[in-house]
Amino acid sequence: MTEALVAIVTSLGDDELILGHRHAEWTGFAPHIEEDVAFSSIAQDEIGHAAAYYSIASSLTGLTRDALALGRSQGEYRHAVLCERPNSDWAYTITRQWLYDRADSLRLTALEDSAHDALRHLATKIRREERYHLIHADMWMERIAHGPIEGRTKLTRAATTALSATAGLFEPFEREADAIGEGWLTVPSEELGRRFLSEAVDALDGLGLPAEVTPDGWRAEFVASSSGDLIATAPSDPGETSTPAGLGGRSGRHSPDFSELWADMTRTYRADPEATW
Amino acid sequence: MDVYEVFRRSGHKQPFEHCGTVTAPDSAMALLMAKECYLRREEGQYMWVTRRSDIHSWSDEALFEPAADKSYRFAHAYRDVVRKRELARRRAGQL
Repeated sequence: MTEALVAIVTSLGDDELILGHRHAEWTGFAPHIEEDVAFSSIAQDEIGHAAAYYSIASSLTGLTRDALALGRSQGEYRHAVLCERPNSDWAYTITRQWLYDRADSLRLTALEDSAHDALRHLATKIRREERYHLIHADMWMERIAHGPIEGRTKLTRAATTALSATAGLFEPFEREADAIGEGWLTVPSEELGRRFLSEAVDALDGLGLPAEVTPDGWRAEFVASSSGDLIATAPSDPGETSTPAGLGGRSGRHSPDFSELWADMTRTYRADPEATW
Repeated sequence: MDVYEVFRRSGHKQPFEHCGTVTAPDSAMALLMAKECYLRREEGQYMWVTRRSDIHSWSDEALFEPAADKSYRFAHAYRDVVRKRELARRRAGQL
């Protein structure tokens, strides 16, 4: 039974750690100095949330938080592929943050009903901070969406690739049925995914980015807005259609993007696991 | 993009104090940026931002320099007013 709980906190912690690491890559490079500070702060928040999830994992496995964060092989990480994707441009980064934080908000809300005390308390605490992250992402999305056509075009392109990878956040955790049985999870991941998708498509529509989604829901095509000035992303672009759906993360299957990130993130720990500072 | 002046206070009995500036396209974004730049280490619980161009100031600060002795406008100028009044009464009695 413990294994089901370890799978949940490891997956959630890994999502936050890996996305936090990607966010932190903007430090020194964000569009302007104020945003540099703001986005770096958000990166720190995410890594802090990871540390909190690892504390629960640590109490169950006996491994230290550092060993969990930095001492595992690539195949032992359980984050969604979405989190490991390179930052690309600012539009992609913001779109991903927007999708991730919406998804995170839904699953944290569900976790607030968890029968597991530590998990429930942590979800309540984290959701307070994630509220601000969502305001940040919403604000940027609105401004890019209502700005010049170049930004909107980048946004739809980013949303097309990021949305399909968001499916990976709602892949069932390992032994999820056990966790549902114990009441640790109250809503199955796939059900949360369906709720997320309908909310996200509505929100995109509200931004003037009407999307048509495929029957499975996770592939979007943007259509021209009523004003006719939205350049629809070409679904025939081979670079975009060949993008993998972004599943597999919850069972440790990652993309080559993660190899590069992992090598960078764990370099110091691998050189000296006992190092302190 | 406009420059916004940022003010914060540490509690509801404290005055708002100027703590810096942010550059932002509008007030909502300015508040967002100011939170991370000036409240990220729990420096306070309240925050204001205002566009710098909405702040009005004198264009010529030389107007503040007094041309003559204005010490009568300070309380310290009246410190020995009791003694002076006594002196004045005495002088009046001698007249």
